[in-house]
Amino acid sequence: MATEAMTGAATNGAKRPLMRKVLPYLLSLPALLVCIGILIPFGTAAWYSMQRYNLAFPMTRGFIWFDNYIMLFQDPSFWHTVRVSLLYTFFTVGVQLLLGLGIALLLQRRTLFNNIMSILLLLPLMIAPAIASLMWRLMTNPNFGVLSYIVGLFGFTDFRWASAPSTALFTVVMIDTWVYTPFMMVLLLAGLRALPRQPFEAAELDGVPQSFVFFRITLPMLTPYIITAALFRMLESIQQFDIIYAMTQGGPGNTLMVFQVTAYLERYQYTNVGRSAAILMVLWVITFILSNIFIKQWLRLREKARGVA
Amino acid sequence: MTRKIHDLADAVVRRQLGRRDFIRRAGQMGIGAGAALYALNHAQSIAMAQNFDWQSHSGTSIKLLLNQHPYADAMIANLETFKAMTGIDVTYDVFPEDVYFDKVTAELSSGSTEYDVFMTGAYQTWQYGPAGWLVDLNEFIQDSAHTGPEYDWEDILPSLRASTAWSGVPGEALGGDGAKQWAIPWGFELNSIAYNRRVFDEHGLEPPTDMAELMETAAKITRDVDGMYGIGVRGSRSWATIHPGFLSGYSNFGERDFTMENGQLMAAMNTEGSKAFHRDWVQMIKESGPRDWSTYTWYQVGTDLGAGASGMIYDADILGYFMNGEGNAEAGNLAYAAFAPNPEAEAPTPNVWIWSLGMSNFSQRKDAGWLFMQWASSTDHALFGAREMDFVNPVRQSVWDDEAFQNRIAESYPGYLEQYQASAPGSRIYFTPQPLFFNLTTEWASSMQQMVGDQIPVDEGLDQLAESVNRQLRQAGL
Amino acid sequence: MQRQTSLGRVVRVGLLTMVGLFFLFPIFWVFLMSFQTNQEILRIPPSLFFEPTLHNYQVLFSGRLETQTGTLEVRFMQNLMNSVILATSSVALSLVLGIPAAYAFARFKFRLGEDIAFTLLSFRFAPPLLVLLPLAIYFQQLGLINTYTGLIWVYQLITLPLILWIVRGYFEDISEDIEHAYRIDGNGWFKTFWKIAIPLAKPGIAAATLLSFIFAWNNFVFALILASADKQPVTVGALAFVTASGIQYGQIAASIVLSVTPTLALALYAQRYLVEGLSLGAVKG
Repeated sequence: MATEAMTGAATNGAKRPLMRKVLPYLLSLPALLVCIGILIPFGTAAWYSMQRYNLAFPMTRGFIWFDNYIMLFQDPSFWHTVRVSLLYTFFTVGVQLLLGLGIALLLQRRTLFNNIMSILLLLPLMIAPAIASLMWRLMTNPNFGVLSYIVGLFGFTDFRWASAPSTALFTVVMIDTWVYTPFMMVLLLAGLRALPRQPFEAAELDGVPQSFVFFRITLPMLTPYIITAALFRMLESIQQFDIIYAMTQGGPGNTLMVFQVTAYLERYQYTNVGRSAAILMVLWVITFILSNIFIKQWLRLREKARGVA
Repeated sequence: MTRKIHDLADAVVRRQLGRRDFIRRAGQMGIGAGAALYALNHAQSIAMAQNFDWQSHSGTSIKLLLNQHPYADAMIANLETFKAMTGIDVTYDVFPEDVYFDKVTAELSSGSTEYDVFMTGAYQTWQYGPAGWLVDLNEFIQDSAHTGPEYDWEDILPSLRASTAWSGVPGEALGGDGAKQWAIPWGFELNSIAYNRRVFDEHGLEPPTDMAELMETAAKITRDVDGMYGIGVRGSRSWATIHPGFLSGYSNFGERDFTMENGQLMAAMNTEGSKAFHRDWVQMIKESGPRDWSTYTWYQVGTDLGAGASGMIYDADILGYFMNGEGNAEAGNLAYAAFAPNPEAEAPTPNVWIWSLGMSNFSQRKDAGWLFMQWASSTDHALFGAREMDFVNPVRQSVWDDEAFQNRIAESYPGYLEQYQASAPGSRIYFTPQPLFFNLTTEWASSMQQMVGDQIPVDEGLDQLAESVNRQLRQAGL
Repeated sequence: MQRQTSLGRVVRVGLLTMVGLFFLFPIFWVFLMSFQTNQEILRIPPSLFFEPTLHNYQVLFSGRLETQTGTLEVRFMQNLMNSVILATSSVALSLVLGIPAAYAFARFKFRLGEDIAFTLLSFRFAPPLLVLLPLAIYFQQLGLINTYTGLIWVYQLITLPLILWIVRGYFEDISEDIEHAYRIDGNGWFKTFWKIAIPLAKPGIAAATLLSFIFAWNNFVFALILASADKQPVTVGALAFVTASGIQYGQIAASIVLSVTPTLALALYAQRYLVEGLSLGAVKG
């Protein structure tokens, strides 16, 4: 391994300035090399996206520049996919942020109970969404489902969960919330506990009302964490596949046809590689822009913290 | 005693002794029916081996890709027979049905040499065949160097042989001239009604005989029977929603998916007849189908029937068969009825699903692979599966004629054989073969979900569907 | 204004109870289901009362499921083993690769440094299907298909960026002063890294390990497309209980319970560090 070579070099005082220059590259290169291999299939996929390429029509395969993209942009169902994906992302991230923040505030104090509770709340994250969805389907079944039974007690005797167009989005957002809020919660909890003590102690001494403390002190200081956590979840949410595919396969109708579900069907059921690749490339561009913002934001957050110090 | 039973078995093989007598005499010797049939099977395998060189690829090893299914279980249970007979080693990968076809597509599209033989449906071959992933099996079947004299290809039901063969020209009839045999039928299911006889008896209901009665009976169950809905049908956003009960009923009214106009495929889902049938179907689901219909697959339809949540299903006959067994609340209470929804139709027209065996074009052990396919689809293995395991419905006429099989079914699944006999003559694939099958049927299902979900009126939905289907056909150059 | 009025406490307890119910009730229900037969699970309406049975667990451990259509071979334990192998090796490899890189990004300002860091992190957010599309073909050609090696490599997409990101943030929180002091004492760079930096970063490493382990454990589609049946993780394996003769909910529930156990154990073990370790570089040194 590279690290062994460096042990010797680092102790050699004469080479230190050179070492200082080379060392960071030596340290980060293995990680980069391992990941860079992924760029090859990525490039191939980009190449596919510019071909008429349906596996069931091998004769018609050919290079068509951006026709796949043009066809997508002219197709209302594609814009529907964009809209649904964004809606899904908006609702999941919004709900999870509020809920995650609320729970983090409840668990803010460092007690053993709170620590254990925060681990237990991580349990939903530990069940693979692909399997958890099987259970959610059973629990929301109108005949045998315990959740259907419970909401029935509250008068919703005909609540149809994922199977009705009007409640399908609600249901998958709820499951996503169940799975991923813990992740949001733990990031925000980390942020809350890392906040400096002094402003809070001062506020308490002055008898400032708690709502004021929250909106004027806690929230502003926590904002960088909130943005980081929200962006992270946003990037995953816009690519949601497991939960939606397992719950409804994109239905009922086209209600939940998000990016990766559409692309998966195109690829593995309709064997339309070109179109599938084009859809995923569009998704990639969106996530690339988002992750750019994400990383800039994170760097700024870091600089700010440095500045305070 | 072991020798005696083998002598006896040989007598059956030489057709000097009937099967029933064989079992009786084995019983007198203190040998149970299971063991006796195993001996018989063994003897038959040896007999097969005498007329054909099964050992020609001894020492080779092949690998199968299997769907988790009772057919695969039956084959695995009998696999030692094949290994002993041929000296070929067989390994296999079993994947759950939920992901099975995605796995097959992934393997074949990457040109994987891992698997030699795999389970497939007929519809899938309309994609795999043109893609160049399958071997045309005619070259093996017709060649006596590859296929033993005992194989008896003609014994496999003609409609199933035709349904797994296609020329590759979109719209051309299955099994027509120049058709390539993309797969060998293995086991199949046709669509009819399975119902809860306990509930039907309690409420004085009769199995329906046409669409109006079906809707009426289903509505009645939903209304009168506590905690039960009338009719289970599939509804997920998938081709699987179209192919069972729905297409069987649709075809019974003479409706088609496509028509040929000037050599071009045209969508036929928006004819007046089609609209009328869709209206009935959608109304039936709304009134008396499962409330979360749009997520229903084979599993939910079956589970509900077995657990007593639904009064009847219009789905695969073998689904009703499986749900009548142990572990289900309604085990033993289920009954079966052939179904022709059109009062003017002469007979039922069930669409069929055929689990078949296909050979990967990327296989590097095709000859050995064919030996396996030949054995797995032979009369001997089919008899073993039908008598001992749940290898139903068999694809061979000789198995349906087998008394041991008939007795077993008649005893444990009353009414099943009658249902089959009434359904079988009209049963075949009613889809028009074309490689966009999965896109277009998924869209069909999606459109139906919108109708049931009140997102669009039936007539308008079908017009839109037809328009979209035609556009996609043209785009693909069909 | 007092911190904890009694009303405040009641509200707090009430809210926590609601949170606990929403997140933990489904798990509690699944836990109960794992001790029920399918017939008890499929009752109308569902009920809390049942005769507990260990049957579901017996099926998972023995690997044999008797159904009315015959005996099914259940490979759940093998799937569980695969999940352990895949998740553990992927995370281990990511730690070996990621911690030095994270340290480099945190401690050195170097040309292209931020670009490399960005490239690495952005892998986490590329749509996995996009890569899978052609990857199966390349794996086929390279002989990596159906191998743990190939899968562990692809899993780096999930685990490595996450570890890099969290651990880098944590390194940045630790003051460089201690390291400087240690080096002035005449210790080499590597020794400083090994003896000082890594132990100090323990909470960050623990949190990163746990989260990346969870994401690797939950992956579904990579193994499905790239590996044969004997290399499938629990996520694919649990689908085997969806059988032609019905969905075996009891066994699915039991498999969820079993598959959560290793992760939960890890989480409880790392409990002290988890929250502390996720500071993401925003705490001053």
